[in-house]
Amino acid sequence: MIVLGMESSAHTFGVGIVDNGKVLANEKAMYRIGTAGMIPGEVARFHAENAAEVLGMALEKAGISNNEIEGIGYTMGPGLGPCLEVAQLSAKTVAKKLGVPIVPVNHCAAHAEIARHFGRLADPIMLYVSGGNSQILVLEERPYLHYVVLGETFDIGVGNMLDSFARKLKLEPAWGSSIEKHSQGGRYIELPYTVKGMDFSFTGLATRATELIGEERLSDLCFSIQETAFSALCEATERAMLLKNKREIGICGGVAQNRKLREMLEEVGREHDAKFGFAPDEFNADNGGMVAYLAERMIGSGIKSRLEDCGIRQKYRVDTARLG
Amino acid sequence: MDNSKVIGVGAEARLSLINLFGSDIVVKERLPKKYRAKELDLRIRKERTKNEARIMFRISRAGIRCPRIVALGRFSIYMERLEGVLLKDKKISNKEIAESGRILGSMHSLDIVHGDFTPANLISDNSGKIYVIDFGLAEMTRSEEEKAVDLLLMKRYLKRNLYRLFEDSYSKTYNDSEKILRRLVEVEKRGRYQTRTLA
Repeated sequence: MIVLGMESSAHTFGVGIVDNGKVLANEKAMYRIGTAGMIPGEVARFHAENAAEVLGMALEKAGISNNEIEGIGYTMGPGLGPCLEVAQLSAKTVAKKLGVPIVPVNHCAAHAEIARHFGRLADPIMLYVSGGNSQILVLEERPYLHYVVLGETFDIGVGNMLDSFARKLKLEPAWGSSIEKHSQGGRYIELPYTVKGMDFSFTGLATRATELIGEERLSDLCFSIQETAFSALCEATERAMLLKNKREIGICGGVAQNRKLREMLEEVGREHDAKFGFAPDEFNADNGGMVAYLAERMIGSGIKSRLEDCGIRQKYRVDTARLG
Repeated sequence: MDNSKVIGVGAEARLSLINLFGSDIVVKERLPKKYRAKELDLRIRKERTKNEARIMFRISRAGIRCPRIVALGRFSIYMERLEGVLLKDKKISNKEIAESGRILGSMHSLDIVHGDFTPANLISDNSGKIYVIDFGLAEMTRSEEEKAVDLLLMKRYLKRNLYRLFEDSYSKTYNDSEKILRRLVEVEKRGRYQTRTLA
C-alpha cells in the first residue's frame, strides 16, 4: 500500500511516502531556529508556506502521482498547536480530495517505530530523546499494540536542556551538537545527577551548570553537562532493560543523532549482551517518513478514523496511542 | 573471594553470597559502569553505598526489620543473610500485609521513602516477621509526593481488599498519613500514572 505521511509538530515540515514498509521519499523543510527559539505562529506560517513544495518534492522523489496514494497519515501530536494544524489540514485536504483513508499518528510512537524498523529490533527498550521529550518506552501487546512509558523526565527534555545551555554560552543551539563539539578535551566537573528508578530530571543540572559559566572552562562545562545528562539516561535505560528482561536497546528522536550518547548506550548493551539499534539520522530528526511508515501499518491493521475525528492533540501521550 | 557465589545481578549492583567464619553473608557491591566518566562513576557508587547503609542503620535503630549490616566497604555493603520467602512468591496473609503497612508507616514517620516498596522487596521469615530489603532507591525526604509513590506501588500490586488492609495499618502508624493519602489521589489522577496502567 502506498501511504503518504505528514509531520509538522515543531520546526520541521516533512512529507514521507512509503510502500509496503519501504520508504520511497522523506522530504522536509526546516525552520531555522537561530537564537530566539521557536515562536509557534511564525513556525506555523513557515510550514504553511512550504507545505505544497515539500509535498511536490516527495511525490517527485518517490516517482508517483497523486492518484497512486492509497492512504494518508499525519502527526496528531504531541507538539505545538499552530504547527500541528498545518500537517493536519494539509493531510485532511489531500485525503478528502483523493477519497483515501486517513489516520492520526502519535509523533513519539512514529519515532520509536521507525527506529525499531531500521535498527532491526523486535522488542527493545527504546530510549526516546528529543527537544521536548525524554522517555523510556517498551511495546505492550494488550489490550492492543501500544508503547508503555517505563520512565521519563520529571521536567524538561534533554534536547531543550542542552540547547538552552548552548544559548547561554552564546553557541549556536543545534540539537545538542554544538555542546558535543565544544566538549572535546573537557574534564569532568561535579554537577547534580538525578535518577530516580527509571525517571530522571535535568533542571537541577542545567541550573548548576549555568551558575558555573565564567568560572569553569567552556570545554569542561560542555563535557560535564553532556556526560551527566547522558549517564542518567543510560542508567535509567539499563534499569528498564533488566526489569523487563529485554535483550535489545534502541534509541530514537532528535538527540539520537548525538554520537556520544549512542556510544554510551551501545556500551550499556555490550555489558548485557544486548543488541543495539537505531535509524539513520534523517529519521531521527523530525520527518514525514516515519509518520507514513506507522500510518501504513495502522491502516493495514484495520484502524480507521473518520475525517471529522481527525484533529490535533498538543499533549498526545504516547501510551494512549493505538498502533495496531 | 574464592567461596563467593553470585546470587543476583541488578542494574547497578551484584549480590553475592560468601561465608565468613561460618556464617552466610550477602555482599551488595556496586559495579563500575564503563559508559560513564570515571569521576562520575566513582561518585555515584560511593554516594549510593553510603546513603543505603545510612538508611539501613537509621531504620533498624527505629526497630524496623532489615538485614543487619556487618561491614561496609567503599562500594560494598556486607549484611547478614535472611531466611524466609519473598512476599511476591507466596500467598500474602492479612497479618503480613498489616505488618507491611506498619513498616511503611514507620519509615515515612522517619522521613524515609523506600523508592521500590513492593512485595518483591519484603521477606517473611518462618515466624511471620517481615523484613524490608533493597534500599538502593531509598532516600531521606519529607516529600509527600515520594511517600505517595511508595503507597502507589503497593496499590498497583495488591488486590483491592488486601490494599485496604495495608493502607489502614499504614494510617494507624503514621500521623501525617492523611496528607499522603490525599496526595496519592492527586498522583493517580495525573496522566502519566493513569496511562501507565493501561495494559
